[in-house]
Amino acid sequence: MRIFLPDRRWLQTGVWVLILLVLWEGGAWSIRHVLPVTQPETKWPYLTNVLIYTFQNMGMLIRQGGITFANALSGFAIGCVIGPALAIVMSLSKTVERIVTPYVISSQVVPIVGLAPIVFGILRDADMSRIGMAAYVTFFPITINFLAGLHAVRPEHRELFASYASSKWKYYTKLAVPSALPHLFMGMKLAAPLSITASIVVELMGAPNGIGVTMVSSLYYGSSQSGLFWATVLCSAMIGLAAYLLIAGIERLVTPWQPEFRKGGGGK
Amino acid sequence: MNKEQALTESRKASWSAPSFRSFKQKMIMLFPWIFGLLILLAWQYKVFHRLLKLELYQLPIPSQIAGAIREEFDVLVLYAGFTGIEIFGGFVIGSLLGFLVAIPAALFPQSGRGGVALIATLNAVPIVALAPVMNNWFGDGVSSRIGVVAALTMATMCVNAFKGMTSINPSYFELMQSYAASKWNVFCKIRLPHSKPNLFSALKINMTTSIIGAIVGEFFFASRGLGYLLSDQIKLANMPLAWACIILAAILGIGLYYLVMSVEGLFVPWRAAARKR
Repeated sequence: MRIFLPDRRWLQTGVWVLILLVLWEGGAWSIRHVLPVTQPETKWPYLTNVLIYTFQNMGMLIRQGGITFANALSGFAIGCVIGPALAIVMSLSKTVERIVTPYVISSQVVPIVGLAPIVFGILRDADMSRIGMAAYVTFFPITINFLAGLHAVRPEHRELFASYASSKWKYYTKLAVPSALPHLFMGMKLAAPLSITASIVVELMGAPNGIGVTMVSSLYYGSSQSGLFWATVLCSAMIGLAAYLLIAGIERLVTPWQPEFRKGGGGK
Repeated sequence: MNKEQALTESRKASWSAPSFRSFKQKMIMLFPWIFGLLILLAWQYKVFHRLLKLELYQLPIPSQIAGAIREEFDVLVLYAGFTGIEIFGGFVIGSLLGFLVAIPAALFPQSGRGGVALIATLNAVPIVALAPVMNNWFGDGVSSRIGVVAALTMATMCVNAFKGMTSINPSYFELMQSYAASKWNVFCKIRLPHSKPNLFSALKINMTTSIIGAIVGEFFFASRGLGYLLSDQIKLANMPLAWACIILAAILGIGLYYLVMSVEGLFVPWRAAARKR
């Protein structure tokens, strides 16, 4: 099994990245020379400068970022257990689905991240509150997508299972869950960066360590530390990306039959 | 439970006891409300406080929160207005931008796919990182949060719109080709209508992220808005008012979410009907 397909798609993405880099550096150049703005270093630094700062502070960034990443992934793992379990219970019982759905949806519009200090107070531990928050924001996209996948089993397949008089257990293990896996991974790919965000927000609201703390403290020093600030932004983007790519890689291993992984497939 | 099972069950029920069925269905409609009421009562009578060993200053009870809302009602409504403008403005701008970017990508999918893949990775960038940057750009007014929310919502819409406009049954394209339809015609008659469900799922995701984006954006250097008041009151340890902000934000969010859902009902009626089943 090939994890990375060295075909035209990757070449194109490479070209796009290059275009974007040129646009970024061009933008950074133009706000200094064409349309001068105040404090260009904080607003739009050259990427090369940011990279220099990143390499200078590499050790610290990796250490702090690693703490954030570990906490977020633990929360994500908890969300990955709760989310699918809830979705299966909801698909088993219409009554439960009716009761839970409005609350699951409204739980997402409640900006509970704002209550990080209270969660802090309830759990009395920085790591626990980061993990808890990450789990809280992760379960929703997973539940909703997995439930949609469980509902989207093709009627012919369902009829075949009904004609075999298959048990509920067989129906789920052999048909519903495998066919809903692509949906599950879609939810997980949405949720993985969200868990990083949640963990960073908790850090911004007060935690002893993590990349969010570095970000806030570099902001307090104003424009002199703007290079470090942008380095933390770049670092948190990289952490988010790493979480996404990790899930995408697992997806490719677990569900290799999806059309977009076949060579030359993936719709028109 | 699947459709067939539901049908046979409702048939069985209607055959045996029609009056009981309608009563049972009414009960099922009421379940979410009863459940919510039970949670609220348990909260009011400090069940959670005893379970988790909490004090009132950590988790205020509903009556205190209601009191805080009554006292500060004018300020809360005014700030909810500001936050609402940020959410809605950013949501509309971001979704529109994402959609507009998806169109050329879908018309030229060979080269567009790479660009969309790149935009999809933007989703992985933690939003909070953008909030201070936007404050640098737009100051502490409403526009900086609109910027945050727009940046947040763009990628999701772009990826979903592209997926909707490109994952279409190939036989439709063959039919259009046999009509010698132009690219533009294919876009209007096939791609756009078929992407509607994807567009609305992106809009629904975007609505929830917009609310969080606006609130978190206000934590930094804002002078008005629910998120500003929330972080301010938390620093002052005035928890009832902080929770009042959360409640208002939740009401605002649920209202906007149902707005998107009802617009979806107008444009994609078959989907809304499937949900009601």
